[in-house]
Amino acid sequence: MEYAVLPKSALGSFVDALRQYGKVIAPVAKSERHFAFEEVTDARDIALKYIPTILPPKKYFMPQYETLAEYDIREGQKLYPVVEVEHIVLFGVHTCDLAGIQCLDVVFSDRPKDLNYLVRRGYVTIIGLECNEYCDQYASCGLMGTFLPQGGYDLFFTDLGDYFFVHVGTQRGEDIVANFSLFQRAESRHFWDLQLLRAKKAEIFRPEVPVDRFLLPRMFQEGFEAKVWEDVGNRCLSCANCTNVCPTCYCFDVKDVMNLDLRTGKRIRVWDSCQNEPFAKIASGESFRAERSDRKRHRFNRKFSYPVKRYNRFFCTGCGRCSRVCMAKIDLKETIAQLARETGYLKV
Amino acid sequence: MMKAPKVAFFDFTCCEGCQLQVANLGELLLELLDSIDLVEFRETMSERWDGVYDVAIVEGSITTPHDVARIRKIRERSKTLIAYGSCATIGGVNGMKNAFDLEEIKRYVYGESAKFFETLPTKPVHEVVPVEYFVHGCPVYQPEFLEVLKCALLGIPYHVPDVAVCVECKFNENVCFYERGITCLGPITRAGCNSWCINNGNICYGCRGMVSNPNEKGFLEVLRQYGISLEFLLRRMDMYNACRILKGAGMVYEEKRAH
Amino acid sequence: MEKIRISHTGYEVREARILRVTRLTESDKLFELALVGGEILDFEPGQFVEVSLVGIGEAPISLSSSPTQRKSFELCVRAVGRLTHALHRLEPGDVVGIRGPFGVGFPITKLIGHDLLLVAGGIGLAPLRSLIKYILDNRRDFGRVHVLFGCRDPQNLLFQDEIEEWQRRMDVGFQCTVDRADPDWKGNVGLVTSLIPGIDINPEETFAVMVGPPVMYRFVIAELLKKGIPESQIVLSLERHMKCGLGKCGHCQIHDIYCCQDGPVFFYERIKNLKGAI
Repeated sequence: MEYAVLPKSALGSFVDALRQYGKVIAPVAKSERHFAFEEVTDARDIALKYIPTILPPKKYFMPQYETLAEYDIREGQKLYPVVEVEHIVLFGVHTCDLAGIQCLDVVFSDRPKDLNYLVRRGYVTIIGLECNEYCDQYASCGLMGTFLPQGGYDLFFTDLGDYFFVHVGTQRGEDIVANFSLFQRAESRHFWDLQLLRAKKAEIFRPEVPVDRFLLPRMFQEGFEAKVWEDVGNRCLSCANCTNVCPTCYCFDVKDVMNLDLRTGKRIRVWDSCQNEPFAKIASGESFRAERSDRKRHRFNRKFSYPVKRYNRFFCTGCGRCSRVCMAKIDLKETIAQLARETGYLKV
Repeated sequence: MMKAPKVAFFDFTCCEGCQLQVANLGELLLELLDSIDLVEFRETMSERWDGVYDVAIVEGSITTPHDVARIRKIRERSKTLIAYGSCATIGGVNGMKNAFDLEEIKRYVYGESAKFFETLPTKPVHEVVPVEYFVHGCPVYQPEFLEVLKCALLGIPYHVPDVAVCVECKFNENVCFYERGITCLGPITRAGCNSWCINNGNICYGCRGMVSNPNEKGFLEVLRQYGISLEFLLRRMDMYNACRILKGAGMVYEEKRAH
Repeated sequence: MEKIRISHTGYEVREARILRVTRLTESDKLFELALVGGEILDFEPGQFVEVSLVGIGEAPISLSSSPTQRKSFELCVRAVGRLTHALHRLEPGDVVGIRGPFGVGFPITKLIGHDLLLVAGGIGLAPLRSLIKYILDNRRDFGRVHVLFGCRDPQNLLFQDEIEEWQRRMDVGFQCTVDRADPDWKGNVGLVTSLIPGIDINPEETFAVMVGPPVMYRFVIAELLKKGIPESQIVLSLERHMKCGLGKCGHCQIHDIYCCQDGPVFFYERIKNLKGAI
């Protein structure tokens, strides 16, 4: 069954049933305005209405600290590559974050493939959840075109009042639906409800900045020397919040951690950030992006320009996390608008 | 297998809280003791040793002529020296006295007997003798202490992360204090503590010292936006970083002078 | 959390044994290595490997020997970081881990049949030596060959014995200069750029290949263009900190280019408009 509906009252028992597929992870509230993906054992803890979590779901695909290989110096220089995995079910992933996971999929599937990522990904079941309205003023999913589902899930839920409309995206999703008796076949009135919502959304979700998305790569190229970079560079504290919370930032550092026995240990990778001072330093101490303005420009180009050339895909999902979390209040939408003004790409 | 390296702990002007952190390592300490020969550690033992230390681990700042002589002697007898805890690595809380007239301070502390006490401006250990390893923090963060000790025992350098506390704070998915309208020194303080304080509901007080190139101008602007006075922040900064003022480092301090 | 052993992840290493260690300068040593088990490291001049020591980490090091040497390979290592300092403590018989080779090397097939002007600055001679030795081992394949090498002072001169040998050869024009001479120095004094005007070349027939610091590139390129060498015949190698070698970690990225996979060797044309590349 490609489309199904699940009565909202059945959510609790559905979440319980999901546990046979792995640890259930869903958005939970950390404060009134802050949410995080965490393990849930009770469906009532799930925040069905939430603004993007502090960290995106990437932490389940490429953890902050990830073991790549293990060693024992008694065996010389041999390294034994490992991947740490766990069956999990990610419930309630918004479309912006689905797009983010798809970006990571592309990067790590590109040759040379990254097996640590690809193997782990196979253990994750993804259940998406539609945003019926804007989360807050920081989002730019209208501009990036990520407010509607575009694949990347096993099941996709849309909250339509007293029931969820469910799109089945994969066979794994189909098995979950088939194994849980409270799913019903979607009927035409359900499709009608969904269409109504989507039509309403099409009116609300509009480009938040009046620029043509498809011209963004060119705008960023032409605006390479724009004043806006100096401006955001002056304000940036290089705290790397923007990259750590970004669903598509995947840079990392590789290092060794020795155990206390001073014989065994592991080689790990740790999230790193192009915003950090030492990131582009070479052995001689020279840094190729010594200025904050260079680093900020690099990050924006890595969202709106470089990956479009390489993967034909924007690496900004419009989730708004980087703006939400910036204490210097460097706002993505404002930065784009300012660049567009400077380069003449702002639509009037 | 080579002989277990001789390791000794020493304390100077400090509260010995960092030694307590080490003593509190529990099982890890026992595991650690398998690979080292602990010859001096005031917090848990009374023995003394008069040979050469493979690794000397020093807590506290240098604040008297007697301290200077003693740390020089320790240095002479040590192959490797680790400065640990804010007092030893950046001067720490003891640095606050540097903002006052030393004679006045002496009289304030010792009163009538002030003449019996010699005092010097507070210095971190590396300003008196060469130091190979630094473990920042007040107190030190146990996992980092162990990491540094492992590096010292393996004879490889340990690089204190030159990135903001925010980095690790985000790894831990804490709610940012700034989003709650509270300022925190995380963005200009160097990481390595796994955002210990923030994980436990406190702000960052900057006990590990600043990153090598903080955006001080930008930080002032952030404070302005949050309605924080420079004076308030500097008092907070001074708690641990007062020693830096002496060097006139950075424009936050320059501006303070101008005030 | 379940732990699975996997293979071919890109992070496993091959063990290589150190056959010989030669001190070149105060901070540089040359390591001759061979893969344990007799396998031959298949590489091109200009490529690099990640050298690994468990418990310490990895560092990218460019190959210094010519692949024509086959049985062993050489790495010139300057002690600057955690891994390189540890490497300097190793002796013949010790084993290291090797990942790679990685990246795109010098475009040898395009160079064949042409005159060559090779320019190295400082430690840039280490990767360029791989090409120089390759050319000398296949000398008939190339036209006239000039090599220019500039370094800070005589104490930092790498491969002194080989330099003397190259200077004696009739089939290669080798010139060397130092920025600052000492009383014993009898050669040229000045920047490597000062040697270029005096070189007699046919610019249309010549490919220039250079390895050195960014500041050298800016000045040498200007001289080469003045000489009339077309941009499409200028080749250079960019130094970045390649951490993964797999085009993922982001450290070596310049614009949309990953140095570790798309480089480190580039045609000047490709990178000339990328701000921050050189």
